[in-house]
Amino acid sequence: MRFSDFTPFDIWLLLQGLGVSLGLFLSTSLIGLLIGTSWAVCRFYRVPVLTPVITFIAELLKNSPVLVQLFLVFFGLPGLLHIRITPTTAAMITLSANSAAFVYVIAVSAIESIGRDQIEAARVFGLTRWQVLRHVVAPQAMAFAIGPLTALLVNQLQVTSLISVIGVVDLTKIGNILNLRTLKPFIVWTVVGLLYYLCAKLLAWLGARFENRLRAHAAWRGLICSK
Amino acid sequence: MLKVENVKKAFGPTTVLDGVNLTINPGEVVSILGSSGSGKSTLIRCINGLEKLNGGSITVDDFDVGKPKELAEARKRSATVFQLFNLYPHMTVLGNVTLAPVEVLKKPRAEAEATARALLQSVGLGDRADAYPAQLSGGQRQRVGICRALAMQPRYLLLDEVTSALDPEMTAEVLAILAKLAAEGTTMLFVTHEIEFARQISNRIVFLDKGKLLVDLPTADFFAAEGGMTNPRIAQFLSKMRKD
Repeated sequence: MRFSDFTPFDIWLLLQGLGVSLGLFLSTSLIGLLIGTSWAVCRFYRVPVLTPVITFIAELLKNSPVLVQLFLVFFGLPGLLHIRITPTTAAMITLSANSAAFVYVIAVSAIESIGRDQIEAARVFGLTRWQVLRHVVAPQAMAFAIGPLTALLVNQLQVTSLISVIGVVDLTKIGNILNLRTLKPFIVWTVVGLLYYLCAKLLAWLGARFENRLRAHAAWRGLICSK
Repeated sequence: MLKVENVKKAFGPTTVLDGVNLTINPGEVVSILGSSGSGKSTLIRCINGLEKLNGGSITVDDFDVGKPKELAEARKRSATVFQLFNLYPHMTVLGNVTLAPVEVLKKPRAEAEATARALLQSVGLGDRADAYPAQLSGGQRQRVGICRALAMQPRYLLLDEVTSALDPEMTAEVLAILAKLAAEGTTMLFVTHEIEFARQISNRIVFLDKGKLLVDLPTADFFAAEGGMTNPRIAQFLSKMRKD
């Protein structure tokens, strides 16, 4: 066996890389979901000062390349704050913040898609803002947001491949290493691409299932013709 | 007692309510007439606290709607039925009617559901409790809207052009229910364009014109030749409405 062969063991290496990619993807998506949603809730409550600050940060994050943000965190922050940042930490910070910004945008438009009339009705009947959010806005906003959120997550999964550039040993990085060793780019990158593809497909399938459940549960024809 | 005192409301440069005074005693049915844009709906929205006043005050059983601390208590005493129903589309009919009693009045769910089913039964929707609003006709939706308001056991029922979005047949469905409520002694503030119906059920008629309350008269006086009809604006309005 020559070093330039692509062996079954290499698949195992790639799967380990995939584990790192998925781990970072899942954790940063979860953090992004939590932060983005709480930003949107802040906006729903029209918290003074905080709301414009959040909007500004979200705008910055979603209108600049993730790679640039990654370089800024990995190379820029250590110099500025005199701290050490590992590639994984830099990846965690950047991807979480980036997800948060896009989740925020989706959550805000989902909340704003709920008719004012219903919210006013609930307020008039004495429900607090929190009760309105919980019982009237959130269930409908969720059904509205699940489609765009699935699309976002599928995209974020691909975006994780950027972190290989700063040295995180994820699926793409391992692919890169194998590529240099085997000099068989067509095979290596095909396998790498397929692995991303399968994960993305799985994610989209889960999202679609969840969406169907949300909508079937509440007979979502109601969303389209509420009047 | 529901008291509206010298209420002023403007949207930007447009004055919508210009010093309105109105008192509604328990048991009364008061209809508000007036052409579109006269401020009728805005008056309702001021009473239930959806709009901030630019002047004057509104109290519901002595709770001041303008004071944040008293607004919740004031809102518990009145309930609104909306022109466009404003139902929650993701909830069943039963869910729509029980949400506020469970969340605001803290009623046990079973009790709230029993009340809701009885109310739905009384408006002929006993078998639609598990339907979603989108599966109902306009008239049925508005009947749900009325049940949702009544489930709060309000002292004052505010009705904001509740039949304006309905065809004549559905309007008749809804008015029949309102007539029954009026006969049972429900206190109602009834904003409407259904003049004949207002005449049948009201104790008093109030006429709004360009944000000003022109007259506040017992129903018989309002329609009498020597009463409201002496006001040229009202005579003009009534003659136009009756032609239709």
